[in-house]
Amino acid sequence: MLVVTCPVCGAEGDETDFHYGGQAHVRRPATHDPANISDEEQRDYLFIRHNPKGLHFERWRCDRGCGKWFHAARDTVSMEFKAFYGISELPPEELQAQAKGPWADYFKSRAKA
Amino acid sequence: MLESKFESPLAHRQSAAETYVDIREVSERGMIDLRGQPGDKKFMAAVKDILAVDLPKAPRTSATWGDIRVLWLSTDQWLVTCPRHRAEALTQELTAALQGIHSLAVNVSDMRAVIRLEGERAREVVMKGSTLDLFDGSYVPGTVRRMRFAEIAALLSILEDAVIEIYVFRSYADYAWEFLIKAARKGSEVALLAPEAKGAA
Repeated sequence: MLVVTCPVCGAEGDETDFHYGGQAHVRRPATHDPANISDEEQRDYLFIRHNPKGLHFERWRCDRGCGKWFHAARDTVSMEFKAFYGISELPPEELQAQAKGPWADYFKSRAKA
Repeated sequence: MLESKFESPLAHRQSAAETYVDIREVSERGMIDLRGQPGDKKFMAAVKDILAVDLPKAPRTSATWGDIRVLWLSTDQWLVTCPRHRAEALTQELTAALQGIHSLAVNVSDMRAVIRLEGERAREVVMKGSTLDLFDGSYVPGTVRRMRFAEIAALLSILEDAVIEIYVFRSYADYAWEFLIKAARKGSEVALLAPEAKGAA
């Protein structure tokens, strides 16, 4: 059983009090150039998810608390939560540095912006 | 024309005599769903003007003034409870006062059923259907929180040490009622959950 802490209201509970919302920081291609989206890009955005062994960034909802969505960073091997952070926030910098795959690119692009 | 007549969700139920805490339905409770930004001073002032009470900003708290009690539901959502006959007028007053402010006030008095548990072991009965530890010291009178109770969504409101109210959606009222009556059946006391047992451990 995972023990989750909501960064919005501070509620702590097991995972049944929360709702898992899938991979976080998935970039929607349509926001950048809606007119020129290939089928492959749209497919990747909708269905292709990263499944790493190790650090994973994901979304959760405080279902039995304040009802707000938030982000979490979790190690998929040890199941340990590394951080909880707001829905419009990026993870702590040391976790951003450890990020691999699509997240690494995403955090880099956000840092530039 | 059919006259609509209010009947509380649990009107057909009677409190069972053979329970070890007193379980009753609170049928005359009016409820208003109120949403707005707590950082918006105009919103907070307008609400206080009508309710005469500051909206609680701290998570899982409530505030009371006279017959109005405001329960914190989220960082931007509150449940205003009042006598049932006042709910409609109060909603209209709020809506009028909040004109032009990004907010929402809706009379949801028929949305939920309220079940009141009264008795020394009321917390224990609730814990039979929940993962919360109501004896951990943080659940002082005034505490309000949403919880997963008997696998359904419920709102827990602690009025006094031995008085607890549970709000459930109307369609779940019968189920929650049945669960509570069974959980509180005489002879099913769980001594292990009681604070005295914890102290001894």
